[in-house]
Amino acid sequence: MDLVESYLNAVAKALPEEQRADIISELSEDIRSEMEERQKVLGRPLTEEEQEGLLKKRGNPWLLAARYRQDHRSVAFGRQIIGPVLYPFYVKVLSFNLGLTFLIVGIIFLALRLAGQKISVGDMVSTCTLQFFIQFGVVTLIFSVVEKHLTKQPDRWHIKGMGGKFRLDLNIERDFQVRMGQACMRQARMGSHMREVSRFESVSIIVALAVALVWWSSVQSHPFLIFGPAAALFNLAPIWHQIYFPIVVLTDLEIVRAIINLVRPDWTQFRAIARVILQAGGLAVMWFAIKAGSWVMVANPAADAAGKYAQVAHIVNQCLVCICERCDFLRRDDYFQDNGIGAMAAVACGAAKRWISGQGRELTQVPARDCAKHGTWRANDLDTPASAIFTEA
Amino acid sequence: MTPGTDNHELFENLRLELRRGSLVLAVLAALRKEHYGYTLRKTLSERGMAIDEGTLYPLLRRLESHGLLVSEWREEDKRNKRFYKLSADGKEIFKQLMAEWQSISTSLNGML
Repeated sequence: MDLVESYLNAVAKALPEEQRADIISELSEDIRSEMEERQKVLGRPLTEEEQEGLLKKRGNPWLLAARYRQDHRSVAFGRQIIGPVLYPFYVKVLSFNLGLTFLIVGIIFLALRLAGQKISVGDMVSTCTLQFFIQFGVVTLIFSVVEKHLTKQPDRWHIKGMGGKFRLDLNIERDFQVRMGQACMRQARMGSHMREVSRFESVSIIVALAVALVWWSSVQSHPFLIFGPAAALFNLAPIWHQIYFPIVVLTDLEIVRAIINLVRPDWTQFRAIARVILQAGGLAVMWFAIKAGSWVMVANPAADAAGKYAQVAHIVNQCLVCICERCDFLRRDDYFQDNGIGAMAAVACGAAKRWISGQGRELTQVPARDCAKHGTWRANDLDTPASAIFTEA
Repeated sequence: MTPGTDNHELFENLRLELRRGSLVLAVLAALRKEHYGYTLRKTLSERGMAIDEGTLYPLLRRLESHGLLVSEWREEDKRNKRFYKLSADGKEIFKQLMAEWQSISTSLNGML
């Protein structure tokens, strides 16, 4: 992918779909005409730096795309928090997060209801409201930080790097460190696309992973931290105990990597290599976790209503498999590919499909018998493949 | 922020405001003859009305949606280009805007 294509792709992503092709064709023609003319003047093809220079003059692709949009909606609480440039991305991310959260919450409540639990509308409303505020708060906060950066530094972006994709230069910490703009240009001219690892990034990773590690360790013995009040009925399946140690090791290694980069921010190659290794390890662990196909189990199998709860756990497990299977669209979506979610989605999707084709049939037959015994579902419902249940849900 | 910087920013804002109004007239004037985006931008720039593509193309779309311009995709030099020119309504509006501009210009010249 050449730089012009990367630039145009970045503009296209922020344009309304109905006008996208038309605007991009015209913009592409304009850019190529300008480059051709410049080549004629110089009598030689443009270098990558010269091409980048011409594109830089055109400005941030997101700002450029925003000028074409008729929709100038924004989010404001007194003052503007998220402007029209980021608004479409904000809506896309928030809708996706909320949609997925509500789907999972809905499935869990439906499963509990089918197992005979008394679920009031109030329970659902309060859970959904809480989730809404959490998601809304977190997503809005992240986007407001990006908006602030974009407003202050509209020209800090680059299209070099992995895959030649457009990136907002969001290393905010560098504002407090050094003005890297000119230094980056110098490095680009020298042919090096690597910059120093931000210390802010390293510190953030250390803090976040330390918190995650404490949570992960606590969840093993205190399922309440993940199930809430439902911990009295459900527990984590054995797979979580099996992958506990690999996850702790990977997390520790990532913390060590961040500490090393905190001391030596110039070891960018070290970070790149370590990231590849750790992410490969992470994906392998994720593959095994999803392939297990069962993540929730009944806390007390000897209890009176254990059969009913086993069905609930089974439904939750099958729904989670189906969600993983349906992650395929994330893998294909450019937006999620850019954020690395695409790779995780590919692994999740692959593992889920493998699980369904391998063990799915056997597992769907177990609750069929249980349900016939408890009379909660028709036998036909329970023989339905996992993906079909998901579609109906 | 120093008063000098304040004044400079104020001047820039007022200058942009002044230019914004005249850009529509300049674009309509240039499109009495058919142009595609890049040549239009060059023509305007050569005549002292430089305009960046992020302003020009959205403006062309807006003018077209108001029915003042017509456009068509055509192949030239083995590349597809979108050519714009004034529509019948555009010609009429342009005449009226020209008259208005000349009136403003005469008045201002008398005051300045």
